[in-house]
Amino acid sequence: MQIVVDLNRCQSYAQCAFLAPQVFELHGEEALMYTPAVPDDQGERVRRAAAACPVQAILVGERAGARVR
Amino acid sequence: MRPDTLFQRITDYANRADPYPLYAELRENGVTRQTDGGYLVGTYQEIAELLHDPRISSDIGNRTDPDEDILRRPDPPAFIGVDDPEHDRLRRITMRPFGPPHSPGRIDALRADITRITDDLIGSFRDKDRIDVVDDFAYPLPVTVICRLLGVPFEDVPLIRAWTNAIIASFDFAPEKDDRDHQERLRAGMEARIAMAEYLGGLADTRRDRPTDDMLSALVNDAGPDGRLTREELKSTATLLLIAGHETTVNLIANGALTLLRLPQALRLLRDRPELMPNAVEELLRYEPPVHMLPQRTPLTDIEVAGVTIPKGARLILMLASGNRDPLRFKDPDHFDPTREDNQHFGFGSGVHNCFGAPLARVEAQIALSALVPHLAGLRPAEDPPPYRRSALLRGPRHLVIERA
Repeated sequence: MQIVVDLNRCQSYAQCAFLAPQVFELHGEEALMYTPAVPDDQGERVRRAAAACPVQAILVGERAGARVR
Repeated sequence: MRPDTLFQRITDYANRADPYPLYAELRENGVTRQTDGGYLVGTYQEIAELLHDPRISSDIGNRTDPDEDILRRPDPPAFIGVDDPEHDRLRRITMRPFGPPHSPGRIDALRADITRITDDLIGSFRDKDRIDVVDDFAYPLPVTVICRLLGVPFEDVPLIRAWTNAIIASFDFAPEKDDRDHQERLRAGMEARIAMAEYLGGLADTRRDRPTDDMLSALVNDAGPDGRLTREELKSTATLLLIAGHETTVNLIANGALTLLRLPQALRLLRDRPELMPNAVEELLRYEPPVHMLPQRTPLTDIEVAGVTIPKGARLILMLASGNRDPLRFKDPDHFDPTREDNQHFGFGSGVHNCFGAPLARVEAQIALSALVPHLAGLRPAEDPPPYRRSALLRGPRHLVIERA
């Protein structure tokens, strides 16, 4: 699984950092860091994080370059 | 206030089971001034803009005509009723033991606990003939979780429940200010608020220098860059976390169970595709949100909303549950669709005051409803609509008894 976060949309609600803390990480209050290639055991958490994003900024795809879901 | 204003009808208990036609009327009417001087906003775009507008205050002290009973509260307001930068400071200090960046794994680490509590509850009613989804499931789960997270002893839950009910009842909107029952509810709510804050302050005192692994201990002992909350701030913050940390989730879970009982197709879909549950919970937050309105905002200056000037200091009521059903924003808004995309609902509000506990509520609702789904097939509510709780603001069933269809 590959993810892309649209950082123009991201408003640092941090729901992803709560729900998938091993993939999404806040640096300071607002800067989001994330792992684009999601480890297999984190896929479910990442899907929950993507569903929860209040500005729908997380795009989930099965592989890099694939059409996002 | 004449008894037939729209807000009066929305808050009328007779309309609690289905306020949605009134919300459609509100959106149709545009921004409407009520005869008591308050302004109702029910359209998505306008609510979204107001929630992000720094000229809108959450501090009731900025109202021209604030409810005196709220100003008489003995404790300082928690961050829900405070503006930036003070709101930001209080919220940041409180976030430190709850979430990122300082405690990023806290909620994720609760998942196992929440799953176990859920399974225990389901196990305990599996053999019962008569199940009340509220009393047997939707209430005990979140109250157990928030007590554990804050560090409140579980044996004190009956106290917490009595205080919380009194406080919530005092949020009611009365047709007449001198309504005797209303005055009595306000008095009881104030007493409960004082008692709960004292109780939580005392509990935090016992954790000072003897920390256990919970938020009260962290809040009273750990200081980050912003320092610690004062004792008075801690009391009102802990009261807010304890009440908001379960009350709304009870309604979310109960509303969710009722929605799935009413819509067998959605229930089947979630049974066949359990991976849809995170989306289904977002849709539930749009379709049947636990918090129907934000009644405590006020403009700091005259502002224009959809062609209507709302004067500085007026009472501004944002009808979140109406914005969630706005056909200009959501396709087929009265349809519950667990596969809905582009679902930027107001279930947790939006902007700087967006729900502090949202990630916890999401995890609890996802786990609770996922566990419930396999057991709901062939069941129906004994009464539909079920009896609702009084509050028009925090809306949900008082009981939800289910039986074999």
